[in-house]
Amino acid sequence: MSEINPNNSAPAEDNGEEKDWAAAKAFFDNLKTNKPRPPKPRYAVTIAVSSRTLFNMVAERKIYEEEGLEKYVAHQVEHENEPLKPGPAFPFVKALMNVNSRLRELYPDSEELFDIVLMTNNHAQVGVRLINSINYYDLTIERFCMTGGKSPTGYLKAYMTNLYLSKDSEKVTEAIEEGIAAATMFMQETDKENQLSDTQLRVAFDGDAVLFSDESEIIVKKHGLDTFFEHEKEFENKPLAQGPLKCFLESLGKLQRKFYAKNERMNCPIRTFLVTARSAASSGARVLKTLRSWGLEIDEALFLAGAPKGPLLQKIKPHIFFDDQMFHIDGAKELGTISAHVPYGIGQKYHKGKLIEQPAKKE
Amino acid sequence: MVSTIQNTDVKQKDAARAAVVAVTSRAVFDCGVGGGDDVCGVGVAFPLLQALQRVNERLLEENPAESLLFDVVLITTSSQQQQQSSRISSSTRHYGLEVSRFCFSSEEDFIESLLTNGVQLFLTTDRNEATQASQSGVLSALLDQQIASCPPEQLRVMFCGDAIVQPDTGPTPASRQVAQSFSTQLGEMRQRFGVFNSPLSIVLVTSRGGRESCSGALQKLRSRGVSVDEAYCLAGAPQGPIVSLLRPHFLLSEGFRNLEE
Repeated sequence: MSEINPNNSAPAEDNGEEKDWAAAKAFFDNLKTNKPRPPKPRYAVTIAVSSRTLFNMVAERKIYEEEGLEKYVAHQVEHENEPLKPGPAFPFVKALMNVNSRLRELYPDSEELFDIVLMTNNHAQVGVRLINSINYYDLTIERFCMTGGKSPTGYLKAYMTNLYLSKDSEKVTEAIEEGIAAATMFMQETDKENQLSDTQLRVAFDGDAVLFSDESEIIVKKHGLDTFFEHEKEFENKPLAQGPLKCFLESLGKLQRKFYAKNERMNCPIRTFLVTARSAASSGARVLKTLRSWGLEIDEALFLAGAPKGPLLQKIKPHIFFDDQMFHIDGAKELGTISAHVPYGIGQKYHKGKLIEQPAKKE
Repeated sequence: MVSTIQNTDVKQKDAARAAVVAVTSRAVFDCGVGGGDDVCGVGVAFPLLQALQRVNERLLEENPAESLLFDVVLITTSSQQQQQSSRISSSTRHYGLEVSRFCFSSEEDFIESLLTNGVQLFLTTDRNEATQASQSGVLSALLDQQIASCPPEQLRVMFCGDAIVQPDTGPTPASRQVAQSFSTQLGEMRQRFGVFNSPLSIVLVTSRGGRESCSGALQKLRSRGVSVDEAYCLAGAPQGPIVSLLRPHFLLSEGFRNLEE
């Protein structure tokens, strides 16, 4: 292990990076198993998932909340040979793994793959159960951080994270404030589980305050819908500013194009959806033009003109649906869609159109 | 000529049970150009000493009769430092550092000093000194300049998972033995505290291997009574950014080979 010296000048640091990478490559290549080697972080699309999004730890969480940390850790250690049940991000992770297999078939030497990292502030002794569970489901997760209580935000950056999923909204908010795409995951109500595709990763995005900034949403909240429609028509040709998940959509698009380049468009294992309350007739044009100006494609754009998103999402069956408003998240959950809340923008201050009374901020 | 002097301000530790850690005075104090009895400035390893002291304090809180404590020795490794001996002792007293002994040796005999004082871990900022000590069978760790900003409230010890899982490459059986017995002592100390709010944190980093390597290292350490607190598996991801966040005081490697990398 090299000497701890993070303040090396750039060329030396790259040298260090290259050495780390070469050593790991050699290590994996020498393994007797057929395990796929993890990709080089610089080129990969890194998805960091927390332990509670990857696995269902509701019962264990209860022990932590009711009996405290020591009892919680002891419980996990006692049961460490019992694999945990899948959590809300599990289907998403399996779908990412499927995309990777397809990419490896077409581009065996490429490092442009999904890299799944387990990012948890659990204690390393709890980590043994997490690793055992990962082994049980044979998930390709080779990188992880078990911070033993510390905030993962700094580590998210160090692992070059492109998307962070957690059940803890505080951590997610912190990540977004640091410029990392992040969302708080919710389990769908269990009796309405959708049958998800196991050959295609399907990701649905809300538009305003997720892919785009909340500038237009501010207009709706402050001045009402009519003003909003007028404004969007007037500024149809002015691209909206980007939102927290724009870069993630961009990285999905990059991978999609790798399939198109090999004539696999019809059979592409990634499909993206825009599910917006905007209406195609009036405010929709600006959105499509903005995407075009960014050079981004979205496979299907669904304009609901204010209709509830739940039933449509039920038909789409995404592995994950991103929205900034809890109202839509709740609607999606009720009908079996795995949803992820993006705590960004003006939508956080409102609930069902009414301004939420904010308690005085703790210093 | 080596002289070993007890620090009468500090209660001596039980030789059979304590973990003897020697730190070079050059790392702890910055003696500059002053003379006479001037108190030296603090060096990069000052917070490290405070952290070692903190562990002892907390151990005694848990059990006032505790004998498994850190026994800290300040050692000089050059004739130049040897000449500063009175400043070193007076600075130690001035700052109230819990140092039980001073070994005033020079570059020729500091190894002998380490051996006769039963030193189990030698900490220095000088790579050559660390290599020499290691070659003589004394577990050594190189202190980095960064440790000046490490927390004094918690001793953070880092283990390298790759070395634990592939021990056949490099370290001699003897050096592996000393590394293992010291880490077992650390593990025992760690057990005196709960999961939360421990003054000692054991951090495992696996830089080359993936989940299997890290998991293997966790289990192996556990079997030696060392319960890891934080684990980071890099599988080839750049180490620099991660390690700078971890703020370890030193890296306990399983042998000589790791010091070279």
